[in-house]
Amino acid sequence: MIEIEIDGKKIKAEQGEMLISVTDREGISVPRFCYHKKLSVAASCRMCLVDVEGAPKPQTACSTPAADGMKIHTNNEKAKASQKAVMEFLLINHPLDCPICDQGGECELQDVAMSYGSDVSSFNEGKRIINDKGIGPLIHTDMTRCIHCTRCVRFGQEVAGIMEMGGTGRGDALKIEPFLEEGITSELSGNMIDVCPVGALTSKPFRYELRSWQMNAVKNIARHDLLGSNIYSQTYKGKVKRVVAGDNDDVNETWISDRDRFSYEGINSSNRLLSPRIKVEGQWQDASWDVALDFAIRGLRGNVLKNNQPNQLGALASSNATLEEYFLLQKIMRELGSENIDFRLSEVNTKDQLNLNSNIKIAEIEKADLVLIVGSNPRLEQPMINHRIRKASNNKAKVFSINSKSFDFNYQINQNLISPSKVPNMLASILREAKVKSSNLSSLTDAQNTDETLEIANAIKNSTNPLIVIGEHYKNTKNWSSIVSLINLLAKDTDAGILNISGTGNYFGAILAEFLPGEGGLDANTMIDKQLPAYMLFDVYPSYDSHNAENFVNSLKSEKSFVISFNSFQDDLVEQYSNVILPIASFYETSGSHVNCENKIQSFAAAVKSPGESKPGWKVLKVFADLLELQGFHYTDSTQVTNEVGFQSAKSNKADKEIKIPKSNSLEVIWQSSPYIIDPVLRNAEALQNTNIGKMNIAFMNSKTAKKLKLNDKSVYLNIPVSITDDVSDSCVIIQTNQSTMKRSA
Amino acid sequence: MISTAAKKEIDQWIKKYPEDWKSSAVMQALKIVQKENNNFLTEELINDVASYLDMPPIAVAEVATFYENFNHKPVGKHVIRFCHTISCMLNGADDLIKYTEKKIGAKVGEVSKDGLVSIKKVECLGACRHAPMFQIDDKYYEDLTKEKIDLILEDLK
Repeated sequence: MIEIEIDGKKIKAEQGEMLISVTDREGISVPRFCYHKKLSVAASCRMCLVDVEGAPKPQTACSTPAADGMKIHTNNEKAKASQKAVMEFLLINHPLDCPICDQGGECELQDVAMSYGSDVSSFNEGKRIINDKGIGPLIHTDMTRCIHCTRCVRFGQEVAGIMEMGGTGRGDALKIEPFLEEGITSELSGNMIDVCPVGALTSKPFRYELRSWQMNAVKNIARHDLLGSNIYSQTYKGKVKRVVAGDNDDVNETWISDRDRFSYEGINSSNRLLSPRIKVEGQWQDASWDVALDFAIRGLRGNVLKNNQPNQLGALASSNATLEEYFLLQKIMRELGSENIDFRLSEVNTKDQLNLNSNIKIAEIEKADLVLIVGSNPRLEQPMINHRIRKASNNKAKVFSINSKSFDFNYQINQNLISPSKVPNMLASILREAKVKSSNLSSLTDAQNTDETLEIANAIKNSTNPLIVIGEHYKNTKNWSSIVSLINLLAKDTDAGILNISGTGNYFGAILAEFLPGEGGLDANTMIDKQLPAYMLFDVYPSYDSHNAENFVNSLKSEKSFVISFNSFQDDLVEQYSNVILPIASFYETSGSHVNCENKIQSFAAAVKSPGESKPGWKVLKVFADLLELQGFHYTDSTQVTNEVGFQSAKSNKADKEIKIPKSNSLEVIWQSSPYIIDPVLRNAEALQNTNIGKMNIAFMNSKTAKKLKLNDKSVYLNIPVSITDDVSDSCVIIQTNQSTMKRSA
Repeated sequence: MISTAAKKEIDQWIKKYPEDWKSSAVMQALKIVQKENNNFLTEELINDVASYLDMPPIAVAEVATFYENFNHKPVGKHVIRFCHTISCMLNGADDLIKYTEKKIGAKVGEVSKDGLVSIKKVECLGACRHAPMFQIDDKYYEDLTKEKIDLILEDLK
């Protein structure tokens, strides 16, 4: 620790710390444009000039390291004069079009010009004008307004990991632009809007909507991925108009994915369910809440409760409900006496899914010195977790992947391509070679070593802080349970951390609330196949949530099943099999909690009221319980529910002892949903759907597989256009699609 | 497409830098591919250099647009790079540029009709003592006058 003096005040600082971070900490305002606390120092805008005693010229606070005894003046004559001069330079080419600029009111240039600038300019020449290229459906560009701070360029290089924006030309012809015509493709691109200090990069869906001061900012949690990024939803007259990133170093630092930023468009869609609906003699009709609830309860009583067969009632939910909603629905079910509770609609085989527990904090990912990614393309699936792995990689961690297709990672990675059926063999071989402790599994001796497995095993042995990241790719393959057991053993034997990112949304919330079949209960697939006389479906849209929508709908459509659906959006399939549909609030409209992959519970309040007659799900469930005359549902606030969840301890299943390592090499089809269709809010978010990621719909296979299946580059496989590429392993088709699961079965 | 010969030449430059610093060879690589492509770069070539050196295309474009030695549209067989920075300007460069434009029948940034020469205005080439001056291809021509320019252009034919 050293002591420096700023504006006559003695202040403690770290040796070598940049002056601007000292002033920021102390609340002394120093104007800046190019400096950003999470990006490298560029010192290009020159706005943060301060007077350092002893230095002949003013120094930039962002690039001057603190030294013992330094005396700094941030607002004496010299500092003020230089700040004013720099401001005049910055405004030379900046159009003063604030009245028609979206950034007006939240513009750093505007603010700084007001405080530090002059009201006249000595520049009388013409200003430069830049023709915009257009960089995609999310970001609007007005590069004439750009002041060349290069924050967006550095963001691309340092955080997003792909440099897409750059400064071309020089001098007065310098332009910030992307090189590629297709524009910006990063899954984190929206952060460029946040870092841009002027109106050069603004949100396209929000363009010309409102001024920032007209909106209320409500702290919220993004619910699409397993991270729960902290966000602010900005609302106006009961509508969410924009979402911006919040700060939380334990979770998302100061960045959010495009998915979290632009999904809000979905809740404002015209596709919302506005009133309770009941099906009378095959015809749908709107009903009041009283009538619809009465209809639902009578249906339940008539079909299952009257005959005293509560175990004939099933409850299913998607992965997108809140913790409180899961908790209340399972509580209703258990009070009624049914253990048929499940949310794992997307899983073909639900055995063994719960044996994977993450044991690492999100902020610790970057401290790993070895990361092994199994069955995941985290960039698309969990963008902000990928960002942490990237940070680990930047900290010199070795990163390996075991996937059946090579993906476009944005860091140094050693990618191993392997057929899905050979993954258990590979993991077993790694386990045998790398283990520090002793697991005696006879099946491991059969595993064959390859150069790749030895390399990974050695790397694990030589690392002090290894981490295994397990994703969703192999979840629906035959060997998933072997993979899970092997990963658990590998982690145990090598003291490695495990990060389970094989779910979406509030996956861990459902587990924490025990929204799972208990003793004698049926799992999701059995419940559907059995055609129970009554179902309660919470936020279920089979065309995307179920792994086989066709089977789901056909089964539930039967006359003898009474189906109560809780939904936020209209859906044709839901109408086909439901008897009553109760409209519930969607994202941003209900209070609740999200549980992320480190089991951190993050609660949020409702930002806006839900549209029409729809009501927050937890309230509907509470009233539902009251009408069923169940005890213990005296909640007046969702936090009372949250607290009750906290008292439950999560059960953990024991891992299987026997591990099967398959010898055959059968063809596996791995379905990967586009990251922008995983919940109904996203599916209705227009701008996201128009991005390249949103439009993806390709079946990847290598030439060998294509030959076997008699396909070529122009054919269609399971209704998906085929792309033949050699970065896919043998006996494997990887399908990345934005299509529903309706016609998936081969 | 970068030719095999060009790749060989680029590899020589890559060898001069530490292993992880392939991108240091970017200027030489651009120079080499430009030479092979009638002295100008295309978007495709920039992409090719980028993938050959494992760089983001925009990073190569930054370099290629920063230095005026790199041309982005077809140029003449010979390129006149006319200095118009202060010493040359004070010594009448602007007049001489106009004169040369008229003489070759092409304006700054254009190519003469016969495709023989194109003309470009550049910043200081460091020959102020002998201003005004220009550079044709790799050669400096100094203390220029209209008469001298006539002779030089005549020689190019």
